[in-house]
Amino acid sequence: MMTDTAKHEKLTQELRRGILVLAALSQLKSAKYGYALIEELSDKGLEIDQGTLYPLLRRLEDQGLLESEWNVEGSRPRRYYKISQAGEELLQVLTDDWLTLVEVMKKLLLIDKE
Amino acid sequence: MELIDRYVHEVGRHLPRKNRADIQVELQSTLADTLEDRVEGEPTQEDVEQLLKEFGSPQQVAASYWPQGQYLIGPSLFPLFRMVLGIVLLVFVIVQLVLFGIALVFNQEVLTFLDVLETFSGMIGSVFTTFGIIVIVFAILQYFEVKPDSEDEEWDPSQLPQIDDEETVSRGGRVAEITFSLVIIAILLFLPDKIGVVLVLNPFTEIILNPVIRTYIPLLIVSILLGVFVDVLLLWRGRWETGTRLAKIGTNLFSIYVLIVLLSGHNAWLAEQGAGGFFSFLEMLDEITISNQESVLIIGMHAFRLAFSIALIVISIETIALVYKLIKSFFVRPTTINLPG
Repeated sequence: MMTDTAKHEKLTQELRRGILVLAALSQLKSAKYGYALIEELSDKGLEIDQGTLYPLLRRLEDQGLLESEWNVEGSRPRRYYKISQAGEELLQVLTDDWLTLVEVMKKLLLIDKE
Repeated sequence: MELIDRYVHEVGRHLPRKNRADIQVELQSTLADTLEDRVEGEPTQEDVEQLLKEFGSPQQVAASYWPQGQYLIGPSLFPLFRMVLGIVLLVFVIVQLVLFGIALVFNQEVLTFLDVLETFSGMIGSVFTTFGIIVIVFAILQYFEVKPDSEDEEWDPSQLPQIDDEETVSRGGRVAEITFSLVIIAILLFLPDKIGVVLVLNPFTEIILNPVIRTYIPLLIVSILLGVFVDVLLLWRGRWETGTRLAKIGTNLFSIYVLIVLLSGHNAWLAEQGAGGFFSFLEMLDEITISNQESVLIIGMHAFRLAFSIALIVISIETIALVYKLIKSFFVRPTTINLPG
C-alpha cells in the first residue's frame, strides 16, 4: 500500500510528464545545451530532473522535432539542441491545445471550489 | 574527477550501443557543468559523490535512454501467450500421462518406485522444455512486432457475438479432441505393435495384431493431424465462421475417405477369411473357443470394423450438421436487440 505522500508524488510526476515536451520545445527556439536548458527552466519555475531531460531531448531528436550539434569551442564539448521546422509546427498546435486545456481545467477546478 | 570517469564508464556499459559514445560525452560534460556551477574551486570527493547520488545509479540512468516499453512478450501478445501456454501444457501433460498408462498396462514387468519417479521427473523436465520453446516462439514474434490482430483492420461492432452465442467454440471440447488425437497419433507412431486384439490368457497377455491398420498408418496420421490443425485454428479464431466451418468440413470429408478405405480393407480381409458377413460373425460366436487365435482375430476384426462404421456414421452426421449450419449462416442474419423506447 502506498503512503499518501508517495501517491501524491506519483500523480504529480504523471501530471508533469505530459508538459515536459511542451516546456522543452518552447525554450529551444535558440540552440541550448542540456544543462543550460535545465537552468533556464528552473529560473522560470519548472524544475526538471537531469535524468529525465537528457533522454527526452534524444527522443525528441529521434522524432525529428529537435536538431542537435556538438560545439567544442567552450571549455568542454557540449551538445546543442534547437527546435526543428517540424518541431515548431507541432509546438504551435500543442500550445493551442494546452491553453484550451488550462481554460477547461480552471473552470472545472474553480467551480468545484465554490 | 576520477569518480566521474568511473561513473560515465559504468553508465556506458548499460547504454544502447548505437549512441553510447555520444551519450557518454554529453553526460560527462553535464556532470562537469553541474559541479562547476555548484562548487567554487576544486570539488571534494564528497561533492562528487553527492552529485552522482542525485543523478541516480548507472543502471537507472542508462535505462532511461532505452526505448520505452521493452518486452520479452508484450501486452498485446500476452493474452494469446497465456492461452497457448495453458492449452499446450495441459494437452502435453495429459498425453504423456495417458501414454504412461498404456505403457503400464502392456508392461509385463513390475514397476519399481524408481521407474515411476524417473518417468515423472522426465515429464517435469519436458514441461519446462515446452514452456521454454513457447516463450522463445513468442519472444521472436514480439521482436518482429507481430500483432495477434491486424490493427489497421477496422472492427465492425455489428459483428460482435451474441451474449449466448451458439457460434462460440467450446475450448474444453477442442482441447479434449486435440489431446485424444495426439494420444492416437502417439500410439500409431510409437506402439504400432500394440494395435490389435488383446488376448488375456493367464499368465500371459498376447496381442494379435490387426493386419489391416498397419498398412494405413501414414494415411491415418495425416488425417488426424489435419483434424488437430483445424482444432488449433478453431481455438485461435474462437468462433465458428465460414472459414473455420469450411476447414472442418474439409478435414471431415478426408476422415470419411480414410474411414471408407479402412472399412473396405477390413471387409476384404474378412471376406478372405470367409467371414465377411455380419451374420456369419454372429453364428461364429457360438462356436468360438477363446484359445483359437484365428477365430479371436476374426472377432477382433469384426469389432474394429464395427467401431470404424460407428465413427463413419458419427462423422457423417457431424458433417451434414456443419453443412446445414454453413448454409443457414448465409441466410439468417443475427437477430437484433430491440431497445425499449
